[in-house]
Amino acid sequence: MASELTTESYISHHLTNLTCGKTPDGWTCNPYMVDQMGFWAFHVDSLLWSVLLGSIFVLVFKMAMPKKIDPNSVPTKAQNFIEMCIEFVDDNVQSLFGSSKNPLIAPLALTVFVWILLMNLMDLVPVDFLPVLAGHIAYALFGFNEATGGGVEWIKGPESLYFKVVPTTDPNITLGMAFGVFVLIIYYSMVVKGPKAFLAELTLHPFGKWLIPVNFILEMVNFIAKPISLGLRLFGNLYAGEMIFILIALMLFFSSIPVGIMGFGLHLVWALFHILIVALQAFIFMALTIAYLAMAHETEEH
Amino acid sequence: MNINATLIAQAVVMIVFVAICWRYIYPPIVAAMQERQKKISDGLEAAKKADDSLEEAKLAYEKELDQAKSEAAAILDKANARASQIVNDATSKADVEAEKIMASASTTIENETNKAREELRQQMSDIIIDTTQKILDDEISNEKHEAILKKAAQEL
Repeated sequence: MASELTTESYISHHLTNLTCGKTPDGWTCNPYMVDQMGFWAFHVDSLLWSVLLGSIFVLVFKMAMPKKIDPNSVPTKAQNFIEMCIEFVDDNVQSLFGSSKNPLIAPLALTVFVWILLMNLMDLVPVDFLPVLAGHIAYALFGFNEATGGGVEWIKGPESLYFKVVPTTDPNITLGMAFGVFVLIIYYSMVVKGPKAFLAELTLHPFGKWLIPVNFILEMVNFIAKPISLGLRLFGNLYAGEMIFILIALMLFFSSIPVGIMGFGLHLVWALFHILIVALQAFIFMALTIAYLAMAHETEEH
Repeated sequence: MNINATLIAQAVVMIVFVAICWRYIYPPIVAAMQERQKKISDGLEAAKKADDSLEEAKLAYEKELDQAKSEAAAILDKANARASQIVNDATSKADVEAEKIMASASTTIENETNKAREELRQQMSDIIIDTTQKILDDEISNEKHEAILKKAAQEL
């Protein structure tokens, strides 16, 4: 039943999500039915890791703070670390957001930064480790048994289960977050500037009131480009990083021993370099989120 | 790369996490940080105040010490003066006493000497009278030669 492991199947296995969705026959996670799912399908693996890492963020930041805060006590090391994160985010909010006070911005920036950082860090887990583990667990629990006909029909072996562990290499995740930011941009533009001023900003801008359609098209492109570039930047960087890890892993499995040894060295080098990308992309996403929301709060006329 | 409902689900998840952070995570941490910041700045201020008052206390202490020193010196001077006065007084008193004693002693000696001399003279005159009486016997009577004898005793 296990198809021959080729370079192509290895790569595509790593780039396919565990997708559950609605088909004409009902809800299923069968990878062979993905084509029939349409829009109402969910990347269960991405969402699982996203929620899991978000929960880790919430729990760590909640647990590290003492239940009852006593200003006389010396802060613990975990508390210090968390306060360092908060101060880092606060500094950025201060410098990018400036004077206008919005109590949502700093928590938003903190959540976005830590959460994306955690999701990006999943990239540093060796590419085969979690997918293979998940495949074996799924096969052991729900594997199809030809003799009895029990289990889930499409889990014919550990490799039947697709499982991506880096949520930020899924454009749905990054664009989903960018979409959340986009909603906030629209909301605050409406509330702070007022609908009229917001509309004026979109229509009266580069060329004055005689070319409103042109202005609207130009400004709309500018406006829509914000969330899309925000989401795709993160996705592209992490996807490329993941891709290179997969290619390096290929050197280990499908080549001669010397190339395999070189692969180890390359993996180390790329992992070290990738730490930079992981932190940088999380920071960029946070900084741009703050900057876009700051723009939504600007009330002065251009 | 296919876009599907995951996007909406992720947006919802994000809103939930941001709301949790905004409502439950962020405020207590920031409150704790601000409270500690205030505590530390209060502490620093108190330390500065304590430093200042220490400086003040030091100055006051030095002033007091100087005063005490000068007072002590004054007392010492007074005591020295008094002591030397007492010594002087005692010395002069003793001198006077000694003189007095000397004077009385010399008076006594003189008196004794005079007394002894008087006695001697008396005895001498008696002896002379006796002797002269024995020598002259009848020729000279006490009554007749009283004047001569007296003169002789005076000459002695």
